[in-house]
Amino acid sequence: MENIEIINLWKQYDEKLEKSISLNRQIIADLQQQKAKNVLKPAKNIKVFAVVAGIVYVAFLAFLVLNSLSFEHIFFVASLSISIVITLVAIGYYIYHIKLINEIDNSESVVQIQEKLALLQASTLNVVRILLLQLPFYSTWYINFEWIKESPNMFYFLHVPIVLLFAIAGIWLFKNINVKNMDKKWFRFLFQGTEWLAVLKSGQFLKEIESFKHN
Amino acid sequence: MVVIFWTLLRIIGKDDLKSMQTTTTVQQDFVSTIEANKGIIFKICNSYCPNAADREDLAQEIIFQLWKSWSSFDQAYKLSTWMYRIALNVAISFYRKEKNATSTVLMGDHLIELSDEHLEEGLETNLNALQQFINELKPLDRALMILYLEEKTHKEMAEIIGISTTNVATKIGRIKEQLKQKFNKQD
Repeated sequence: MENIEIINLWKQYDEKLEKSISLNRQIIADLQQQKAKNVLKPAKNIKVFAVVAGIVYVAFLAFLVLNSLSFEHIFFVASLSISIVITLVAIGYYIYHIKLINEIDNSESVVQIQEKLALLQASTLNVVRILLLQLPFYSTWYINFEWIKESPNMFYFLHVPIVLLFAIAGIWLFKNINVKNMDKKWFRFLFQGTEWLAVLKSGQFLKEIESFKHN
Repeated sequence: MVVIFWTLLRIIGKDDLKSMQTTTTVQQDFVSTIEANKGIIFKICNSYCPNAADREDLAQEIIFQLWKSWSSFDQAYKLSTWMYRIALNVAISFYRKEKNATSTVLMGDHLIELSDEHLEEGLETNLNALQQFINELKPLDRALMILYLEEKTHKEMAEIIGISTTNVATKIGRIKEQLKQKFNKQD
């Protein structure tokens, strides 16, 4: 079958549809009355919830820090303060996502919109990698001078290496958690489960869009 | 005083009436546009949703999104470009969703009613094979294929999809080749 014949076939299909399709005007009228519906609303709601939960968490940490401001509690104050900063960056990132969702306009070109939507979904990974930078500080907040003085060997030979290990892991994960590595085994292991499926699929789709743009 | 108050009420009433009339005209214009282009919506739904129930949801979603953008449609652009962009964007997003969104309108009636209208047997078989070929393509290639079959120019395809005309030409060339092979195999 030649291409021209295929085009003609499609035209005949078009003519058939023209005769056989009728639209229910009442449903169109009902659709015109709907104002608040938005397909992206669930995604937006999750991000709004994350921002609110993040602010509550930061407020709680800030309360603890403000009530412990002394040199004696330096490790506790420093660890929590760094956690506050990192969480605030993640909150900022979510606020940026909400802004992007509000700016989605389906009348832009297909590649542009699909890329924006896939990036939005896949960028949940960015929030995860930012939050993982807190990893070493979960093993430093309870350190105190008294403990170091009483058991220096345990502190220097066991605890310090653990903190360093967490720091290296946190930095490594921050550097390596991205769409490019999503086919690697360690990545699949970390992000297994249905809750990550949409994010992983978006990553795949981003690759697809990239190759579509350049081939 | 009473006269001034009465005149003001009449002016406000007139404005309300005018705005109501304008809204109704806008709504009717929109319905007429949808009616005139119902085939586009149906073909896109059919290409991204083999399941009839999902197709109904997708058609409603497309019409809803078209209505939402209707007021911001720039007359300087071609209506079909605007329409294809929205319909394809909504269809691809819908297709990519793992589970379908809940129906936009909960009712027993269907937005799209299809009456029994058959093509000749041979044409019907070829059409099914063509639809199958379209459904096997990746979502972005599928969009391009629909536009090719709709005989859009490379320039218009490039505007709708958002890639260069050279890229469109290369991809269309490849798709045509695949299409030819598919139908030759069938023959």
